Amino acid sequence: MDFPSDLFPTFFLPGPPGLSDSPGSFLSSVWSDYMQLLKPPQTQDPSMRKLRPWEANPQREASYVTKWGRWKPDTPGPLPFLHPGADPWDPELTSRDLLFRGRPRHPPRAKATIDVVEQLNHFLWDHGDIAFGPLGMLLQENFNLGERKKSHKARAVMNAGRLLQDLGGYQPKGCPWAHLSTRQRRFSLLGGTVLGEEVESLLGGLLHEELETRWKELLLDDACTGGALAWVPGAKAHTGQLVYPTGRAHNQLNFQKIKLSPTREPQVLGDPTHISLRGPVRQVVTRTVQGEALVAVRSDHHCAVWQVGCQGRPEPLQVLDTHKGATGISLSPHLPGELAVCTRSGTVCLWSPRDGLQQIHKDPETLVFKDPSSWRWVDFAAHPRMLTIADRTGVHLRDVRGPSDCGELLFCVGAEASCQRGERVLLAQYLGTPSPLSLSPTLHLICSQSSLYLLDERLPLVPMLKWSHSLMSPPLLAQLLPPPCPGAPLPLLLGGLGGHLRMLHLSGGSSHAPQLAAPPQSLPSLIDSLHGFPVLEPHGQQLLQDRLKAPLTGLAAVVPPSHPSPSMLLFQLSAAGDVFYQRLWLQPDSSSKNADSPQNGISSTDCADDPGFSSHDQTSATPSLNTASDACALSWNAQAVACCRRWLKTLLQVPPALPPWTPPTFSQHHHLRWSREEEDKGEVREGLQAAMTEGRLLQQEDLGPLPPSDPPPAHEPFGPEDKLSERLKASWEGKGAVWWDSQQGSTQVPRKRQKRRSQLSSSFSSVRTNSDFSDIASSPHRSYETPSPLHKLPETSRSLELSQELWAWSIPRERRQTLRDYLAVLPSPDSGGCSTPLSQNPSSHSLPTSEPGRHSVLRSQNPSTQTLPSQHTPSLAGSQPRKKKPRMGF
Amino acid sequence: MDSFSEEWMTSVEEDDRVEASIGSGPDIHLPWLSQHIQSTVNCGDKGTNFAQTTSICFNFIQEALLKHQWQRASEFLKCYLQTLEDINSQRRQVALENIWKLGSTILYHHPKSNIETFSTFADRMKNIGVQNYLKISLQHALYLLHKGMVEDAYRNLNQAESWRYGEMSTSQEKLIKLIQAYRGLLDYYTWSKKKTESSQSDMDSYAINAATQDMHSYFRQASVNLHEIIKIPGVWDPFVKSYVEMLEFYGDQDGALQVLTDYAYDNNFPSNPNAHIYLYKFLKKEKAPEDKLISVLKILHQIVPSHTIMLEFHTLLRKSKKEEHHKLGLEVIFAVLDFSGCTENITAWDYLTKYLKQIIKEKHLDWVKEGWSSRKDWWPTFHFSYYLAKKNWKENKILALKKAFTSGILLGKGCRYFMYVSKQGHKVQEKSIKTMKKFVMKHNILDSEEC
Repeated sequence: MDFPSDLFPTFFLPGPPGLSDSPGSFLSSVWSDYMQLLKPPQTQDPSMRKLRPWEANPQREASYVTKWGRWKPDTPGPLPFLHPGADPWDPELTSRDLLFRGRPRHPPRAKATIDVVEQLNHFLWDHGDIAFGPLGMLLQENFNLGERKKSHKARAVMNAGRLLQDLGGYQPKGCPWAHLSTRQRRFSLLGGTVLGEEVESLLGGLLHEELETRWKELLLDDACTGGALAWVPGAKAHTGQLVYPTGRAHNQLNFQKIKLSPTREPQVLGDPTHISLRGPVRQVVTRTVQGEALVAVRSDHHCAVWQVGCQGRPEPLQVLDTHKGATGISLSPHLPGELAVCTRSGTVCLWSPRDGLQQIHKDPETLVFKDPSSWRWVDFAAHPRMLTIADRTGVHLRDVRGPSDCGELLFCVGAEASCQRGERVLLAQYLGTPSPLSLSPTLHLICSQSSLYLLDERLPLVPMLKWSHSLMSPPLLAQLLPPPCPGAPLPLLLGGLGGHLRMLHLSGGSSHAPQLAAPPQSLPSLIDSLHGFPVLEPHGQQLLQDRLKAPLTGLAAVVPPSHPSPSMLLFQLSAAGDVFYQRLWLQPDSSSKNADSPQNGISSTDCADDPGFSSHDQTSATPSLNTASDACALSWNAQAVACCRRWLKTLLQVPPALPPWTPPTFSQHHHLRWSREEEDKGEVREGLQAAMTEGRLLQQEDLGPLPPSDPPPAHEPFGPEDKLSERLKASWEGKGAVWWDSQQGSTQVPRKRQKRRSQLSSSFSSVRTNSDFSDIASSPHRSYETPSPLHKLPETSRSLELSQELWAWSIPRERRQTLRDYLAVLPSPDSGGCSTPLSQNPSSHSLPTSEPGRHSVLRSQNPSTQTLPSQHTPSLAGSQPRKKKPRMGF
Repeated sequence: MDSFSEEWMTSVEEDDRVEASIGSGPDIHLPWLSQHIQSTVNCGDKGTNFAQTTSICFNFIQEALLKHQWQRASEFLKCYLQTLEDINSQRRQVALENIWKLGSTILYHHPKSNIETFSTFADRMKNIGVQNYLKISLQHALYLLHKGMVEDAYRNLNQAESWRYGEMSTSQEKLIKLIQAYRGLLDYYTWSKKKTESSQSDMDSYAINAATQDMHSYFRQASVNLHEIIKIPGVWDPFVKSYVEMLEFYGDQDGALQVLTDYAYDNNFPSNPNAHIYLYKFLKKEKAPEDKLISVLKILHQIVPSHTIMLEFHTLLRKSKKEEHHKLGLEVIFAVLDFSGCTENITAWDYLTKYLKQIIKEKHLDWVKEGWSSRKDWWPTFHFSYYLAKKNWKENKILALKKAFTSGILLGKGCRYFMYVSKQGHKVQEKSIKTMKKFVMKHNILDSEEC
């Protein structure tokens, strides 16, 4: 093999990553993306060639598009390939679930804080038995829970029988009806601090630790590095198998036979072969070496190898138990049946089902500098006895035959590769190709959070190519494909966990440095196919959207058997277990004429070629360009839409993951004994009861028609004709317009109306004042989208209270009596409870009393009780809004 | 600083704080962190809003670039120029670099862009802020060079070289050196052109004299700059090559050798195989003694055992009179065939077969055993499997025969590769197969082990 004779000049100065003044950052390819397309300066005597190198280059560079065309998908997004699995899928944890959502104190510097308090709150509510159980066990000896004989001489034993009895009817889920007995109250006051402290210190610590792990996992989940989707080519060129995990725990390995066709969509042949495993499948690797197809699977604590026979039937070869947890597995591209496995403890083993395990390397420390991550990776190299061992800080090249300290550093996170501060290795992959003519078989791909590096193992530490991929998720998947047609550059696919895909075109045989042959391309991700699905109702839409947004956990590209225009099938596996596919065609580009004649200037034909360009010279109508270019490029064809529909139909049949809601059983016999005596429940309570048992939102119909016989006797007919009352009544019943029309019919003189209004306004100034205040106080709540009566209730009462407060100082003395009379008919809150509960200690907030006034004030403190009605609801609902309406009528 | 993006910067700022609030954790920067935070924290501050809009705009441009929508990207870039108004100077600096990176890429690919547009853009960008002048100048020059505008590129480099602004940072000093080196390379191009002209045309002595003087001045200019850059650790293949060529022309063979030796053996430099190859080729041209050549190639063998020159090295070692060289010759040829890219190299297999025969005849079976011991557990499957026997026989019969011979010597007559090829070959090339079989029956290391 030849080594590239001319490399791009670059500085080499070792040092830590991220030196802002590091000359290493002059690595030429880092500067600008177009630089990667330039050939290194030649030194050959220019006169020896017919054309000078720089003269020959422009044509050759631009020729990629004309020569090979452009990869184009035939649909705007990938299509579902297999039906969604039977198991429902819960969207994974998001940062919204973990982080504190309050308003930060310093807005310009956004800050992420894990919301332990809220999580702890949830935990205590949901798993009170776990939180308080152990403490109860400890204290059990000091309590007598009603046993007959409990004699402890030394200990103080408290009789808790009555306390338990009090608690008997109490539901620990924040039930507002629960009555707080004096005994309970005393106990909670005395024991609350102790219980709280214990739970806080022990559980809080653990919870914090757990949340921290989850947050870090959310930011960077390395479990599925390498991807869990793989393609095993079959005996014939147009058949093969997809290997992927399904099931809720991703523990079922599937081998699905597939038939490829150069033009039609791939077809599934029969049912997949299922293999149930005892752990989640994290990584699936396949290789066919010397006609022997092997599938290696990595789970958290197990690794396994299968051999796929000629008939396509997988036969298990061996299973490996890794105590510390495996982080990477790879199959040798040189020797059949040889694997390399690495674990979190830093051990790297060569594994062959025939010869067993051979430990190659063991070092719990990281290679270059200290990094807490226990992620390790292993892959092969151009020499069959060499392995690349990677961790977050670098990649080491090791000869398995030598002692454990031999070998050299292939890549290190440092100034040599002009890395940023905080940059880490996320993926290291050997890009061995069977034919050295297309690309040197000594190349390794290394991905970090921000960049992609290509390194030649013959020139370690100096990247041959660096490209900042700008993926907004960790790039954990990569695949190099054979050239689509002889001599063409090799497509390299790069997939981020968030579903973003990039395609690069690598060129450079063994005697040329690897180079990008064309500007990198992005490929559609799963979420791009959202528009291919019919619009659903919000719940279904959300379900679909979550499903399509699921992390990308596998990527497999297949080049179907030869066809005049080369194509590629791209299979994608999401964390929800969905397999999507997309076909890409290498098509001659229509705008290539433009692209290849940069110096031709503007001609009319150019503009005619591309409507986008012509419309854009004068105006910046981006949307129009957007639609124009998208429309002419791709659209959802009927077949694709039908495919999406079929998939969706299956998906929506899958039951959602919500647990069935069960109505709480509720014993009333103790505290609510009197309620039995009242037999005349009435429609209202029945409706309420029904709504409660069904666990749905209480609606107006449940409460029956509003009792018309219950108007507040507050105002007698004011003035000569009591149109106001009529109108209020009409508008409350939703017939305001009808009333108005009827009025218009009877009194058609607008002048009169104006007069009446002025009369009214003068005579009801006191009422107006009141309602004005209520308006002011409740104005923020007006923006509620769906104000059911139950939502309105507390607002109104609150606004009244507030207005009462305000009233004291802003209403003229002479009008106060009118108002007082007016308000007297309302169920008045206790005068003291009006302001004090707002500042009461929070321990009482979960147990609101059933007094209506108190309850409504507490509402502002405890949102959970906001929509829960008290027993006095009907009367309030019936009378209260009438007070609020006067202004709305006008 | 160069590849920093807006998101990157914000995440750098936020990262520390996040880690601090989490407590412990790696000092790892995640570009997607800011997205996670933005989804939970909504701030209404004007500055943050602007930064968010900016980053959205940046993403739009990148998306358009990745979809090869150059026109669309350029429209977005127009909006992105607004980021230069940012009050935060650090963000402004990042924005500048982003604009240059995105803008140059767009102009490089845009169907309606031409050299003038690119140059105007580059000139404009150079003069916004001072930190980017040199970097942009150099990239501009490389672009011009790529487009064949050597004179313009030269003018550009010249301008950049004479640029001064306050005190230069170390990185700027390095960059100036690089710029000078590129200028030196362009001087070398002119020198080289003049050299060919003077050698081809029939000029009178006066003209030749003038041309020689002219050439010499170019040489002086180039050599000063090239000499400077070569001292700094790095990969300087084109510079070293051109410098050495000029030194050779003026008869300074020692100087050239010194340059090449330094380039190859300085420990501060990366282990660049080309450095050793250049040195070897130079020595070979200078007809250096074989021992010298062997010592150079020995080091190259350690770095790149798979290089094509190793075949040359092998013949050199075979010709050598020293026995240790003979032994090394076997190791060299074995090592070439270790690599996956060389498995079907007929010359290498030919060399190995012939050399094995020779060594066995010379009764150095222990060498073979030694070389074989580290390969016996994997070469049989790597090279001599039944699958490969069928494949090689089908694709390349000569290769199959050579390999079969070797497999017979190394693995005995029972080897499946040997058996398959000899059986198949019997029908075609009876004679050569017979001699092969005969040899293998007599000499193979398996049998010799038994005796």
